[in-house]
Amino acid sequence: MSAEFELTRNITIGQYLPTGSIIHRLDPRFKLAAFVILILAIAVCNTYIGNIFAIIMCVWLFQISKIPIHYGISGINPAIPFIIILAILQLLFYGGIANGGAVYFEYGFIKITSESIRLVLVSAMRFVEVIFLSSVLTLSTSTTELTHGMERLLGPLEKIKFPVHAFALIITIAIRFVPTFAMEMEKMMKAQASRGADFGTGEWWRIVQRTKDMFPIIIPLFNVALARAEDLILAMEARCYIPGAARTRFAHYKAAGKDYVAIVLSVVISAVMLGIPW
Amino acid sequence: MEKGLTVRRIVIAGVLGAIAILLGVTRLGYIPVPTAAGNATILHIPAVIGGIMEGWGVGMIIGLIFGVSSFLNATVPLFKDPLVAILPRLFIGVTAYLTYVGLKNVNQYVAIGVAGFVGSMTNTLLVLGMAVIRGYMAAGVAATVAITSGLPEAIVSVIVTLAVVAAWKKLGTSGKQKSKISGDL
Repeated sequence: MSAEFELTRNITIGQYLPTGSIIHRLDPRFKLAAFVILILAIAVCNTYIGNIFAIIMCVWLFQISKIPIHYGISGINPAIPFIIILAILQLLFYGGIANGGAVYFEYGFIKITSESIRLVLVSAMRFVEVIFLSSVLTLSTSTTELTHGMERLLGPLEKIKFPVHAFALIITIAIRFVPTFAMEMEKMMKAQASRGADFGTGEWWRIVQRTKDMFPIIIPLFNVALARAEDLILAMEARCYIPGAARTRFAHYKAAGKDYVAIVLSVVISAVMLGIPW
Repeated sequence: MEKGLTVRRIVIAGVLGAIAILLGVTRLGYIPVPTAAGNATILHIPAVIGGIMEGWGVGMIIGLIFGVSSFLNATVPLFKDPLVAILPRLFIGVTAYLTYVGLKNVNQYVAIGVAGFVGSMTNTLLVLGMAVIRGYMAAGVAATVAITSGLPEAIVSVIVTLAVVAAWKKLGTSGKQKSKISGDL
């Protein structure tokens, strides 16, 4: 019962595994750029061999970043039932829409074609690849490094008046406040439970009831959050924070050879993935 | 209203973004509905509220935070695709803001409520539309999901948005809004 109230335990944001590998030591700007390139390639690639190649590359990334692969696999485990259900649905209903490909089985509205099988297998593989890649990224990069890297990468957008610094600050505030709000929420859930409220004990099919149970938590949460926002606004203005003013930087990054190698490698891997024709 | 990102907008966007992330990682923001999409969600509500309170820019940024966090936390392949998880979410706050601005001279409460509904439906329709285009779902399945989880989502969204924004608007003019510099009274 009490486990339901320990929200802070589930929060893995900023989970970081310092193994000091070459991946950890990459310049965050370059690491992030390489990550984006690979994710885009994965999103577009829909060939079997291309995706198998991508999975091998992800496993190789775990190897060189010295992160035990079970960190990646633990991200997949809870998803397996969803993957199976979705795969069955896709298999049964998608055949009628996917054009082309050999028809393997047809009965009434159920139609299984080589295209629908491809869709099922490729989307499952894509899922594994993205989980692996994002685990490597977050386990090898601290949140501070990530926001710094993002701010620098988006730097050129400042030319078209995109508020890059403000944007990075928003992300930092958001990440900073997650644990705080988790604690506030825990407090509120306990306060409501001590007055006799039920959380998560209703049967799952009583959707309306379970939804109603949420309101006494969600609405105060927003109010607490907005009250904290007022305090933070006041504090920042009292310290004369001016959005968009020129600032000096605390952290400086300098690209080295390994960073360029990382970018070139990710482009090569993407090109191979997309270049394989079947 | 002042133009651009004020301190107020930066902070509100950050704080509401934090709520979106928190409800996502603790899975408290999901209502288990037995459909192909797995769950109905209330994670888009911070984006709707941000859009109504501080304009479309803030709504879009919170939508982006919601999109990225749902992309990183996703347990279904559908949301491991950035085109489905991130892109449609950018527009939640924008449509909510436009609806609110269009209707606020009629009646504040109606405007907030309808904006909550429109924001929520934007999320449902654009995400499912993208899912169909990207081939994760057949159009018929998507339509069922839109009804079974889209409608409950919209109803919850209207209730929460009304409760939060109406309370905040009252705070706003009567002095609980502490800062005297960046307030938009």
